[in-house]
Amino acid sequence: MRTTRNQLSLAVVAAILGLLVIVQLRTQSTGSGLETLSAPELTVLVANLNTRNDQLRAEIATTDQELRALQGAKARGETSVEQVRLDLARVRAWTGLDPVTGSGVRVTISGPIAASGVQDLLNELRNVGAEALSVADIRVVPGTVVAGPPGSLSVENRALTDPFQIAAIGSSATLTGSLLRASGIVAQLAATFPQVQLTVIPVDVLRLPATTRNLLPAHGTPRL
Amino acid sequence: MTAAKRMLRSIPSWQVTLAVALLTLGFLIATQLQTEAPRARYTSNERIPLVETAHELQTQQDGLKQHLLDLRQQIQTIESQGQGSAVLSRDLDGQVRQARIEAGLTALQGQGLVLQLRDSGKPMSPGDNPTDYAISARDVRTVVEQLWLAGAEAVAVNNERVTVSTAIIDIGGSVLVNAAYLSPPYQVSAIGPADLFDQLNRSAGFQDFVRARVEAFGIQVGFAELKDVTIPAFAGVINLRYARPDAIGSSPAP
Repeated sequence: MRTTRNQLSLAVVAAILGLLVIVQLRTQSTGSGLETLSAPELTVLVANLNTRNDQLRAEIATTDQELRALQGAKARGETSVEQVRLDLARVRAWTGLDPVTGSGVRVTISGPIAASGVQDLLNELRNVGAEALSVADIRVVPGTVVAGPPGSLSVENRALTDPFQIAAIGSSATLTGSLLRASGIVAQLAATFPQVQLTVIPVDVLRLPATTRNLLPAHGTPRL
Repeated sequence: MTAAKRMLRSIPSWQVTLAVALLTLGFLIATQLQTEAPRARYTSNERIPLVETAHELQTQQDGLKQHLLDLRQQIQTIESQGQGSAVLSRDLDGQVRQARIEAGLTALQGQGLVLQLRDSGKPMSPGDNPTDYAISARDVRTVVEQLWLAGAEAVAVNNERVTVSTAIIDIGGSVLVNAAYLSPPYQVSAIGPADLFDQLNRSAGFQDFVRARVEAFGIQVGFAELKDVTIPAFAGVINLRYARPDAIGSSPAP
């Protein structure tokens, strides 16, 4: 009788153990992180991935065209210098190594905003398609960070005055609409920093300067 | 010693088996609870097709990126074999190569640092907001910004290169970098000077982050200083529709 009870206890423990092992293994094998997203969040993610993939397809088409033009020129023994120049101009403009001109928005900020607030705004501008950014006429490139306590912000070792402006080149309508929508970044910043004023103005022609920052790596080696 | 052995021998074997099984059971329950906290998990049926679509789109995106990198590599090869004036071609090729390195379109290798960010392992107090215990896009952005300020010259998050156009955003409790969905834990890799970690550790901004997130909510930050870190090339869109290099003009592209 006692042996039967012991065996029964062991069987129950073994069954629970087995179940937990399976649950744990399944949790780990499906650990893509998507299980933490709700249906509406997954819908936003799918929309984002779709947009991004469409942009990548367009970029691939342009790059493929460029490659074919270069291959054609090479086959005909013609010069490809002009094509290379265009490529160079595009890369330098995108990176911030050359000044750029275009339509966009100008955001004026006055009051004691935190550096993280300005960084959040720059992040949102990139997210909604800004192609080039500047803070107080200083071009934003990789490594450019607005830092310091509210009231004493600086960027690239230059103090920001109050007010200061952020310029963003892109679709004026998209940028303005995204920034000013209800619960958009401007509303969020206004709620977090009630003493700060932000104004967004669409502009037809903005000119953003080139960066003065040295972007060539001193410690890393390119893997060509 | 002999007494202890005698005592152990006197315990029936089924009790030892049960004790081991119960210990394993306790360990598994703890692991399961640890895996689940602090992010909510959804299991509704309506999500299944969405999850499948998201996986499929992410796989497509990985393929598209690789294709784009291959095309760029082919262009670079042809440009380096330049036609026309040899001197002009060599000079232009050098400029294009340099611009691509500066832009982050070329992979970089060197000494650096890898920081790993994980959700909190701390038990939540009643009334706490679970999102405070999970890694957010803001956390990843803060670490990236502090690395730049500490002297990093190239940064990537889970192999997504941080460039001039990179946005790091939240979708629900998860993070998108360059519009690519990244699963936690988040690894922020950086190449920089030998004292990159010391500079980072000394900076007021990083100390604030540690106080506000690690000490207050138990966000887990691990780090490794490595002799060899690889930061991949950016595999994304660099075409400009609205911004024009000054010399070319200012009308938007069609």
